[in-house]
Amino acid sequence: MAANGNTNYYDLYRHGSLGSTLTDALDDLIGAERIDPQLAMKVLMQFDRVITEALSEKVKARLTFKGSLDTYRFCDEVWTFLIKNVTFKMDGGQSVVTADKVKIVSCSAKRSDEK
Amino acid sequence: MSNAAVGTVYEHIINEVINAVRVDFEENGVDDSVLEELKKGWQHKLSQLNIAQFPWDPKPEAPPPAQATQNTSSAVNAQAAATQQPTANYTQSTLSPQTAAQSPSLPGGQPNGNGVAIKSEPGMANEPTIKQEPGTMQPMMHPAYPGNNAARGGMAAQRAAQAIANRYGSQAQASINAIHQQTQQPQIPGQAPPPPLQQQQQQQQQQFSPQQQYQQTVAAQMQQRIPQQPGQPGQPQPPNQQNGLGGAQVDGSSDGFDGVMMRRDADGNPVEMGRVEIDNLLHAQLLERAKQREGGGLMLPLKEATKQRSNATKSRRAAAAGGPNQLDGNDEDDDEFDEDAINSDLDDPEDERDDDDEEDEASGWIMLCLYDKVQRVKNKWKCTLKDGVLTVNGKEYVFHKANGEYEW
Repeated sequence: MAANGNTNYYDLYRHGSLGSTLTDALDDLIGAERIDPQLAMKVLMQFDRVITEALSEKVKARLTFKGSLDTYRFCDEVWTFLIKNVTFKMDGGQSVVTADKVKIVSCSAKRSDEK
Repeated sequence: MSNAAVGTVYEHIINEVINAVRVDFEENGVDDSVLEELKKGWQHKLSQLNIAQFPWDPKPEAPPPAQATQNTSSAVNAQAAATQQPTANYTQSTLSPQTAAQSPSLPGGQPNGNGVAIKSEPGMANEPTIKQEPGTMQPMMHPAYPGNNAARGGMAAQRAAQAIANRYGSQAQASINAIHQQTQQPQIPGQAPPPPLQQQQQQQQQQFSPQQQYQQTVAAQMQQRIPQQPGQPGQPQPPNQQNGLGGAQVDGSSDGFDGVMMRRDADGNPVEMGRVEIDNLLHAQLLERAKQREGGGLMLPLKEATKQRSNATKSRRAAAAGGPNQLDGNDEDDDEFDEDAINSDLDDPEDERDDDDEEDEASGWIMLCLYDKVQRVKNKWKCTLKDGVLTVNGKEYVFHKANGEYEW
């Protein structure tokens, strides 16, 4: 999960719903030969930048969560946790969401700050 | 609640990305409308996930039902919509199960399976499917073929014949004669269409061999033999009569098994294709495209991608094993290599990631974020995360900061 070579933004978020739908949409255009794959890669790289900035600037929400850690892994500066029986509390505990398990994939915040 | 923020934040991100790449699109000579399509397609796919309410959705539930009815109503309509309005491009992939479901009927009875999907409404069905041809990379298609839609109608075959005559002169005479003989043959009721089809395939396969002249004569002879098949009263077949009304009718004289389209074999010889053959070919290509699309995703987990691809390969092999689907021989192989080349490049990064990521992503419970601190004391972990996206229980949340405590 390395950052892109020239832009230093993680492509981590491509695996989220926003990124995967963008990729699907790009795939459709590539499949129809409306755009070429290089252009699609440029779009994805812009996406990496925009979503990183947007999440840090536009989002204020806070979240706490508790659970039991099932698996942890630290490889190439990427933490991966598999947590079971998680409880997420948002907005100071006003809304609570529980899940059987959740996977957390997390890149180092420092490296993306360097830019 | 942070879920409410998702819509606006995502809209902001989409607009930013679209604006940021506008220059790139211009530099690549890609029209602005494609960019709009991308945006619409993106938003639509996002809405389909139903993970949050988005500003561009009129109602939270509106898009998915519309999609469902479109799919169930008719494959042809969905197909047409997908092609005509590229914002609906997702129908290609969602369509595939349906198309796949029809595929078993392909080998046996063309009048049933194919007839419904493509034949019955040449104006509706042929146009969109044919327009897709540029995307399917079929170099062996006759160049004039994409123009052979309903609008041009019967002119096309005459032009094709003229073109062949002009380019190949007397050499192509055998083929041209073959068309006429074929189109003038008496109509074959009932199960008659399959035999000529098979014969044509044999003939095509034979024409791939280098001995052009000889094969052409053989082909012509085989064409002549077709009318001599047993059980062929001169009564026209009702279903095909309907078909004759469409733009695909080219000869005007008969409703028989028409040589509608010419294509070139490996040696550049024109080979005529009957309507049933074309239907089968298009159908097979549609299937391939649908599968390719599912399996060729940029971000699709490698496991799924290879699964899809192997399915596609399997079906291709099954077709090659002698079913009526095999019409274009070597060309399929090229396709396959192309697919692999594209996929392998883009799938490689996926390969480095963990296998179980894929399952968890597929189930949708995942948090993508950055970490500030991860601390552990014995079996107690504390971590400080930020700038994250959380998908859980089918809903999406964004957060600026998150604190987690958990025990191992």
